[in-house]
Amino acid sequence: MSVTARPMAATNDAGGRARLSAVADTVIGMVDAGVTYPNGKVALSEVNVTIPRGDFVFLVGASGAGKTTFIRLLIREVLPTSGRVTVAGRDLLRLRRRDVPGLRRRIGIVFQDFRLLPAKTVFENVAFALEVTGAGRSEIRHRVPMLLNLVGLHQHVDHLPTQLSGGEQQRVAIARALVHDPAILIADEPTGNLDPVTSWEIIQLLIQINALGTTVLMATHNQEIVNAMRRRVLALEGGMLVRDEPEAAYEREY
Amino acid sequence: MRFLRFIGFSAVRAWQGFWRNAMMSLATTATVVLMLVLLSGLFIVISGLNSGLEFIESKVGVTAELVGEPEQADLTQPQLDALMGYARSLPGVQTVTYVSPEMAMARLQEVYAQRGQKLDLGESGASIKLYASIEVTVSDPSYSQSIANALSDRSEVVQITTKQAAVDKLIGIINVIRTVGLVAIALVALTVLFMIVNTIRIAVYARASEIEIMRLVGASDSFIRWPFILEGILCGLLGALVAIGMVAIVWDPIQPVLFNVFQMPVAVGARFLATLSALLLAVGLGVGAVGSWISVRSYLTA
Repeated sequence: MSVTARPMAATNDAGGRARLSAVADTVIGMVDAGVTYPNGKVALSEVNVTIPRGDFVFLVGASGAGKTTFIRLLIREVLPTSGRVTVAGRDLLRLRRRDVPGLRRRIGIVFQDFRLLPAKTVFENVAFALEVTGAGRSEIRHRVPMLLNLVGLHQHVDHLPTQLSGGEQQRVAIARALVHDPAILIADEPTGNLDPVTSWEIIQLLIQINALGTTVLMATHNQEIVNAMRRRVLALEGGMLVRDEPEAAYEREY
Repeated sequence: MRFLRFIGFSAVRAWQGFWRNAMMSLATTATVVLMLVLLSGLFIVISGLNSGLEFIESKVGVTAELVGEPEQADLTQPQLDALMGYARSLPGVQTVTYVSPEMAMARLQEVYAQRGQKLDLGESGASIKLYASIEVTVSDPSYSQSIANALSDRSEVVQITTKQAAVDKLIGIINVIRTVGLVAIALVALTVLFMIVNTIRIAVYARASEIEIMRLVGASDSFIRWPFILEGILCGLLGALVAIGMVAIVWDPIQPVLFNVFQMPVAVGARFLATLSALLLAVGLGVGAVGSWISVRSYLTA
């Protein structure tokens, strides 16, 4: 696992730029990245961070600290208004509009509210993500059962989301997020709607996926999980990256 | 293969979308039918008047009334022959025919007979004096004015009449009908466009959560947009097919009516029907595509 091997996180220094291009296996790179919304609100400023392939990272911070903007930036829902951001080898400012779908296929994302299509079965929900990107029937028949197997839902392929528990629904969402074999899985408060036991099951699943080589970035308020896991922690406060620490806890410990 | 899958995907989604909000889709289709039926009516009427115009233009181009009959009064047979020879030598002249007063009278009586009336000449039978004339047909209506000018210079000729006045009048009528018809159809087309824009807007809203997921999983813009554009085109296509069906059904029954109104076959059979069908199909598909394109542009911003 690359957690210990990764370079120290970039701080606000001149070397950040050089290091960003030097690390070939960087999945996410931000150099002095900032986002100021059209209404003048500064949501992120001068963020420097490098996340190498295979990392497992928690993103923490109070509501309004910039977590949501951080994630929107990664999937290019907003563009950086300053600095530079690369995701899966693509410079977001240089990315042409028609290449955005290609970027999004390299990123899997799950949310607190699962966002499944209620009229579609478990199988169809996952297959939909392949269908809408032009995948053929044989690919769908091959990949969907494989992914549902991975998340432990092969017994529920024909169920509707409403017939599943919250944890099972989140597993469907995770299977869908992995459908294009993304470089990174972003989980935005994935356990926010789940009870503690189910939350741990989801975390176990994310760790398993991470062990298979997918980089995981998980935004969370769940102190218990972050403290127990002892993984890299990025902490945002008022739009600034105030902490980037390996094997860390939810709160600063020094 | 990939493209075929894209087409298949979009077509299936368009079909599902059409029936998901069936009331709205069918109402829109009905307005398309209304517009296309109006368009068919206009097309048939204009075609009828145009063929009437052609008919008039192809008939006698120039009539020259003569000073008298040959061997009576001032006109001798050689003079008539010379005049007819001169007329034949003019550019654009196709045929030159001599019409005697008796023939003219016979024609007049025939016209009355066709209307079911009898020409009443009174006791003497001489209350109407018809001139002898020569009738010139022209190869192209544009020659009729120069021919009329050349003939009016001849001393044998009393008066020249051309069909220009009738032609001008008919052209005027055609223009008015065409303008009024097109304005009416344009207004209906605006309504149709509005209906389609609205139908597709509702379809877009109905699929809002699907569209969001499509964006997140990296569906390209064409996968997101084309189903909606096809749904609009589907409204236009169904409307056009229904309108074509209606025209085809009434086609044979209305032929005698049209013949009565325009006094000639409006357009002959299958080819006219094929042209009209192609027009209806093109307009239906076009308005569907434009309407849904506007809607997708306005309500599906990236």
